[in-house]
Amino acid sequence: MFAETPSSPENLVLLLSQHQESIFRYIYCLVPVEADARDIQQETSLALYRKWEQFDTSRPFLPWAFRFAYLQVQKYREKSARSPLTFAPDVLDLLASEREHVADHLDRRLQLLDGCLQKLPAPEIELVISRYARRESAETLMDRLHLSRRTLFRRLELLRQRLHDCVTRQLESEG
Amino acid sequence: MNMDLESLINAKLEGEITPEQHARLEALLRDDWQARRRYLELADQHARLLRQPEVSTGRLGQASLITHKIRWQTYALVASAASIVLLAILAWPRQPTDKEATSDGVATISQTLDADFEGKSRRNGDTIAPGSLTLRKGLAQIEFFSGATLLVEGDAQIEIISAWEVRCHRGRVRVHVPPAAKGFLMHAPDVKLEDLGTEFALNVNGQDSAVHVFDGEVIAHKKDKAPASLKVGMTLASSAGKFSSQDFLPVGEMQDIIRQREKSRLQEWKSWAAGVSNDPRLISFYAFQHPSDDRWDRLVGNLAAPLDKKRAGGAVGAQWTQGRWPGKDALEFKRPGDRVRINLDGSYSALTLSCWVKVDSLDKKYNSLLLTDDYEAGEPHWQIYEDGSLMFSISYPAPGQGQVRKNNQIYYSKPVITADSLGRWHHLAVTYDNATGIVVQYFDGKEVGREVSGFHQPGRPIVFGPCELGNWGLPSKGHAFPIRTLNGSIDEFAIYHSALSPAEIQNLNQKGQPK
Repeated sequence: MFAETPSSPENLVLLLSQHQESIFRYIYCLVPVEADARDIQQETSLALYRKWEQFDTSRPFLPWAFRFAYLQVQKYREKSARSPLTFAPDVLDLLASEREHVADHLDRRLQLLDGCLQKLPAPEIELVISRYARRESAETLMDRLHLSRRTLFRRLELLRQRLHDCVTRQLESEG
Repeated sequence: MNMDLESLINAKLEGEITPEQHARLEALLRDDWQARRRYLELADQHARLLRQPEVSTGRLGQASLITHKIRWQTYALVASAASIVLLAILAWPRQPTDKEATSDGVATISQTLDADFEGKSRRNGDTIAPGSLTLRKGLAQIEFFSGATLLVEGDAQIEIISAWEVRCHRGRVRVHVPPAAKGFLMHAPDVKLEDLGTEFALNVNGQDSAVHVFDGEVIAHKKDKAPASLKVGMTLASSAGKFSSQDFLPVGEMQDIIRQREKSRLQEWKSWAAGVSNDPRLISFYAFQHPSDDRWDRLVGNLAAPLDKKRAGGAVGAQWTQGRWPGKDALEFKRPGDRVRINLDGSYSALTLSCWVKVDSLDKKYNSLLLTDDYEAGEPHWQIYEDGSLMFSISYPAPGQGQVRKNNQIYYSKPVITADSLGRWHHLAVTYDNATGIVVQYFDGKEVGREVSGFHQPGRPIVFGPCELGNWGLPSKGHAFPIRTLNGSIDEFAIYHSALSPAEIQNLNQKGQPK
């Protein structure tokens, strides 16, 4: 069904499945609302599919894909312009260009993150599983752990800080 | 690092941010590249955790637990433009095809001694979900999935928070934490104990608590104080009140009492069984108590008086194993050939089947309890259906139609064997009376089905003939036999030629309790 050219849709499918996490992370930094980020990612995949023939196969795929993702983020932003909880266009722009500079640094941090997760004390691991793997709602967690909303979010904040610090320490010791 | 920035970022990531805070966050991000860097790092970390937290708990962390939202209109929009194959992959994230069974349990009750729990009754082998647990009296040993073990003495109230965390509101508890459960947390009213792989006891009385370490090391965190390390033999009491070693729960004693209790339980059962065997309504009564170690002795004795050797059973394949208590035997059925052969003569107008069963798995469509070899007119079949319901049926072929058996009386109870009842002893019973046609099914002494079949005709006789327990292996010639082996164990099987009353069934369940 597909012609065996570098720009065949099969190649796109391969590239997309290989890089779906990177694309999601990129979008998520700009629109940190999971369901919306996933929708934007799907729109991005479709846009890439439509423009696939224009892709220059001698160039790297990800920067190209990020440009499409950025356009979709802007579209999303236009649709929800009235919401005070989406980043303003100039902030989006600043974040996107900052992210370009630090992309490698972020990748390296994520590699170290897995190791830091293993080192968490057991109750914190429970919290990671509850919050992230099981997607338990704040209400469920508050109920189960007998925490006020405030304390729960404080604990989650400390958890993220702890992981962030752990990664930073490891990066520093790497020199 | 700017604390304000830190909590603003976290509020943003949790979706808990207010418009004012959002404006403040934007201002910080505009002004400061370091703030942007910090934000990007935290958001990226969050994104990764959302995708796949790679934690060491293995399967738990897998994405299969997550339900994803899919926008169907997207499909419709481009269905004409693209191939289905491509779309299936584009529509990331891929949906898991089948949902795995889940349980919210974090611990299990492993041993009890005269235990009286408040609220719903609990027994050995019960799985416990997070929540409060009050033990009015007696002892209970709770094993957390993390590996930590808790021995609780009533009157006590504890609150199970997770497999790694428990709070003691009042009473005496003893905690054993193997190396794998290091970090297990025990909360008391005024202190938090972090266990570093050890054994310690805690006594909570009102707002006071005292800790005594028997082995290893415990870190005690108290409000406004530096964490204190407690080593072997050390006691930490919150008030001036003196605690002696008597105030802490001894473990050895419990084991002794349990052993004694098991012995007397066995004696109690033996004298009860001797009484039951004189019930004139019995057709046969298999106590499943194996008298010798002789491997050639495959007899499954029938104790119903007067003793009738013709009705004794013969074990095939099935091996003797421990029954409801140490000292009590049971037969374990595992392989397709395992069974107990019996042959019961006579023709009856009513019946009761009663047995103790430990089901390990319902891995077949029909899981045998008692089945007659053939399925001729008047022959009963008693089995567990794959959905966990009890299934009792009597064959009554429609007259003149030979093999067409549409008139069988089939009765299903509601599903009673669930994931939580596997691996535990349960009492099952069914009664049938050929005059009324009423079939009543029981699970642990409680009625779980009562029905009259639409095919019932009063007065048709019940017969057994050659039959077997735990399997169905000798069906008609020339047919490959379907595998219906029970995957589990049977301890005690009684067959009566009368329909016992609900109170009598309740009594059988009560007297045979595995505690």
